[in-house]
Amino acid sequence: MLRVPSRIGKRTHVRGCRRQAPAYHLILEGILILWIIRLLFSKTYKLQERSDLTVKEELIEEWQPEPLVPPVPKDHPALNYNIVSGPPSHKIVVNGKECINFASFNFLGLLDNPRVKAAALASLKKYGVGTCGPRGFYGTFDVHLDLEDRLAKFMKTEEAIIYSYGFATIASAIPAYSKRGDIVFVDRAACFAIQKGLQASRSDIKLFKHNDMADLERLLKEQEIEDQKNPRKARVTRRFIVVEGLYMNTGTICPLPELVKLKYKYKARIFLEESLSFGVLGEHGRGVTEHYGINIDDIDLISANMENALASIGGFCCGRSFVIDHQRLSGQGYCFSASLPPLLAAAAIEALNIMEENPGIFAVLKEKCRQIHKALQGISGLKVVGESFSPAFHLQLEESTGSREQDVRLLQEIVDQCMNKNIALTQARYLEKEEKCLPPPSIRVVVTVEQTEEELVRAASTIKEVAQVVLL
Amino acid sequence: MCCHGLPVGGSPSSPGCFVPLIQKTGGLLLTAERGGRMNVGTAHSEVNPNTRVMNSRGIWLSYVLAIGLLHVVLLSIPFVSVPVVWTLTNLIHNMGMYIFLHTVKGTPFETPDQGKARLLTHWEQMDYGVQFTASRKFLTITPIVLYFLTSFYTKYDQIHFILNTVSLMSVLIPKLPQLHGVRIFGINKY
Repeated sequence: MLRVPSRIGKRTHVRGCRRQAPAYHLILEGILILWIIRLLFSKTYKLQERSDLTVKEELIEEWQPEPLVPPVPKDHPALNYNIVSGPPSHKIVVNGKECINFASFNFLGLLDNPRVKAAALASLKKYGVGTCGPRGFYGTFDVHLDLEDRLAKFMKTEEAIIYSYGFATIASAIPAYSKRGDIVFVDRAACFAIQKGLQASRSDIKLFKHNDMADLERLLKEQEIEDQKNPRKARVTRRFIVVEGLYMNTGTICPLPELVKLKYKYKARIFLEESLSFGVLGEHGRGVTEHYGINIDDIDLISANMENALASIGGFCCGRSFVIDHQRLSGQGYCFSASLPPLLAAAAIEALNIMEENPGIFAVLKEKCRQIHKALQGISGLKVVGESFSPAFHLQLEESTGSREQDVRLLQEIVDQCMNKNIALTQARYLEKEEKCLPPPSIRVVVTVEQTEEELVRAASTIKEVAQVVLL
Repeated sequence: MCCHGLPVGGSPSSPGCFVPLIQKTGGLLLTAERGGRMNVGTAHSEVNPNTRVMNSRGIWLSYVLAIGLLHVVLLSIPFVSVPVVWTLTNLIHNMGMYIFLHTVKGTPFETPDQGKARLLTHWEQMDYGVQFTASRKFLTITPIVLYFLTSFYTKYDQIHFILNTVSLMSVLIPKLPQLHGVRIFGINKY
């Protein structure tokens, strides 16, 4: 029971230093006692663990669930795929027909390389197939640590971290650093993995026009004005710029020197996604930073997937130690997915060895890209979208017919006819309802070091003929 | 006196977060329904442990014992009179409560919800913003009881009264449901 001063209403005995409680004090105590009694006797609310929904019969009756699988047209490309038998290397066997592969991202031809295969086989014999656990639960093998070490040394950064799935790499890296209330400036042509990472981060996303540094500067300036109005909020807001080295959707390169200038002027951090440019650009294949000659410490985080040039699976992020270390506990794809199978890690290490031993292949690849880029200019009806040194570029319709479906059908016709002439091409596919800025339909052409000059010439002339026939 | 129940209308939950399902239990505070499970060292789906920490088993008793310990430590300082010690206990307890419950924001650990509670104090995070839960009532009543004891032992002296009352108000007013998420003059907003 609460101790209520018992002098209320009684006569006071002046005994030494004993005083009667003053009136204002008694009133205050009375109010407080009333408050306590109200709290004690009112209904206590409780958080309920189980969901005890009140059952409303009529609502359940009239609820019509949406179909789990919406109706899909029979000729949807996801339902009619080409079947590949054998490895998708230089010569690919599609639907029983052997074609030259202009569709797989096998830039350095390491997919079928005997050294890589031997390393993978040796690792398979030693470790078995999978790891059956995430990195924290006995899923860390010496090959993983080795590969991280080698990648860090190759990219000349302090540390690297491996993910077991390329898509999950950048999609886990962005939400590890950018939270609610932070601001991310991202290019409109960012790939789907980046978009999912941004969605998971719950940050404020500001899109700027593709490769338009003036637009980005305008957005950064607006943000700066906002920050000056509310400096306390600005102090707790982190700002990021997310760009790709070579964009998958357009084949163009990001203007990294201007970006670094903007970074230091407006105090934002740069996340560079180098999936297409790792092992392609630069004198030794180190990517866009080497291509432009920028100090790698200027970029806060470089993320790439190993599924393109390295012909393995998975992805990695590299950067300063204190940046990468954060992902070891906060990277969702790192902590909660099984780690990369050791045979793939060994294959990636061997691929890195090959890249380091022959740095001449990057110049060869560049030359081939330039050659086919030039050869494909001037096709009536198709325009080449992408840099001349980009090994993955797009062929878009010069004039769209008006409906995307019609465009897709036309391009598919071109692809099919090229397939009949033993050139394997593919259209760039998107989840049309989920993309933020859906790129126009296009054929994606991929150049690898294994394609000979004659094959490149033949491919270019085949595409020209087919385009003339189909597009009239 | 007749006590009405609380207005039926759900809880003023913090903006953006889900409105949790609340169950009203009539009756007194001290029923066996509180005293939740401790999720220490287990895999649990609790996104923000700050919301449930004051419901853990034994934390109320520990809290009261800690106040007692503080009081005993202050009593053991020589040449300090008993009324001053009581006032000191009250002031230090209220200051600690104000700092930890109403000033410090966010969580000391990373939460999977991408920082939803980054701008919320611990009082606002408790029970996901549901008002008048058992822990909130306990934490409201404790400073009041301490105040009663202090005012008795300081023999209602005026200076002690002023100090203790100001301190009590600084701890009671932020606990009002009307002040959930309110930042006066933008102090402590970000």
